[in-house]
Amino acid sequence: LTSFKDYYQFAHPTRVVAGRGMIDAAGFEFVKDGAKRPLIVTDEMIRATGLTEKVEAGLADGGLEVAGIFDAVPQDSGIGVVEACAAAAAEAGCDSLVAVGGGSVMDTAKVANAIHIHGGEVLDYEGIYTLPRTEGYEGAPLPLAPLACIPTTAGTGSEVSFGAVIRDPEQNAKISFGDFPLFPRLAILDPEATRTLPPQIAAATGMDAMTHAIEGYTSTEWNPHGQAFAIAALKLIRENLSTAVLTPEDEVARGNMLIAASMAIVAGAAGSVALGAVHSMSHPCGGRYGVPHGVANAINLPHVVRFNAADEATAERYRDVAEVLGAESGADVGEAVAALLTELSTSLGLPQRLSEVGVPEAGIPELVEGAMGDGCTLTNPRELSEEDFTALYEAAL
Amino acid sequence: LPYFKDAQEVYDTVGKLFVELAEDPELAPKFRKADTIVQYDYTEPDSTITVRLQEGQPGDVDFGETEMEPEVTMRMKADTAHRFWLGKVNVTMAIARGEIKPQGPVSKILKLVPLTKPVFPRYRAQLEADGRKDLIDV
Repeated sequence: LTSFKDYYQFAHPTRVVAGRGMIDAAGFEFVKDGAKRPLIVTDEMIRATGLTEKVEAGLADGGLEVAGIFDAVPQDSGIGVVEACAAAAAEAGCDSLVAVGGGSVMDTAKVANAIHIHGGEVLDYEGIYTLPRTEGYEGAPLPLAPLACIPTTAGTGSEVSFGAVIRDPEQNAKISFGDFPLFPRLAILDPEATRTLPPQIAAATGMDAMTHAIEGYTSTEWNPHGQAFAIAALKLIRENLSTAVLTPEDEVARGNMLIAASMAIVAGAAGSVALGAVHSMSHPCGGRYGVPHGVANAINLPHVVRFNAADEATAERYRDVAEVLGAESGADVGEAVAALLTELSTSLGLPQRLSEVGVPEAGIPELVEGAMGDGCTLTNPRELSEEDFTALYEAAL
Repeated sequence: LPYFKDAQEVYDTVGKLFVELAEDPELAPKFRKADTIVQYDYTEPDSTITVRLQEGQPGDVDFGETEMEPEVTMRMKADTAHRFWLGKVNVTMAIARGEIKPQGPVSKILKLVPLTKPVFPRYRAQLEADGRKDLIDV
């Protein structure tokens, strides 16, 4: 029998437009959200590919006047970058923002938007539901400027989520934000945006999307709305990830992976936080050893699947995952799904062990401490002790 | 109606628990691993408890105004705090619903959540000993 949840929240206020040529129609679409003078937020590498110029042309074609371009977002954006972006928005006199890039670019634009509209400092808004409201901390959140996102990777899903993660270099830590106004108004999913994506990044970000879907489907905060998105995302990932990585000129596969990534995050972290121990393990790997998030997720995912599926109630949900992914589950569904995931990530050329990407055995105690303190640990379907995390890291090493 | 009639009642119940936890030889060192200062900013009734959770530092607990500078602020109704210590609040659900609004490095506090389970029966025992059985079956 399907159980009935005591409570869940589902939110998907972002309008998604997907298809070929959508970048050319960026202005036509974004003007519907009230945008007139957007600031484009991007990074130097994306700009060098010429994609930003296409976005500019698409915005102009719809009657929008580009107020400026901020292209100084690095791979792991930090507080100083967000503040510089907010200052650029103020100086340009923009009334809206268009983020063209991966998660770092989109998250920078989200938090910079909050500073641009409400003032204050980045750390003022760290936490959940911290943006100004009609009655102080209560009531309806005050709106931000319209934000459109054009993702150039298919993984993070930030283009449809209410979360953002920024690096605090002083504390050498990632800081998180989550609130409804951070939902972008518009997400434009056009395979042209991932045309120059290097295969290794397509593989890692694709496995990030896979992790979002699986963890969202199986977490303690699972819910039928999210699960519908997760299953659809897993189906698209199964059918398109390998092709998108191994045959990058395949526009259909790239387009479908963009859609899959934007659906996968809805299951796990679009309007709430409902991921699990894979993310708990991967966050400190990134923070302490610079392991790319998607790579860490790809390595850690099979081990956590085995661990979680040992719990009979959770195993039932993994059977659904196995069916969609085409794993022959039999009696040991955890092993079946884990083996399939390992085979897939190996075929994509991704590293299989944390030791291959710079994580030393001596670092495990510190990683365990980080994982125990990660918010995603609370929503993992099976409770974890320090000993459990130690065993998982040792298995992944 | 709120469970507590004024701030003093909050301090005499929830606040008393924080003071006892800060002095607990087994639990206090574990909580201090959070290495932060937390302020619990309650409404209905308005009341504030600030707790120092820093290794090598005294386990200060201030009621009302404080000279400590909190790194994390947890905003909620005093009723929610009371129900939490009775073991009746799912923290992730409460955060998702906005019943608990954390500001600052939330993970520093979330990692303490698993440590709080043994405290629930202790809070009940404290209420019983203080003649506040009326606050237990809420």
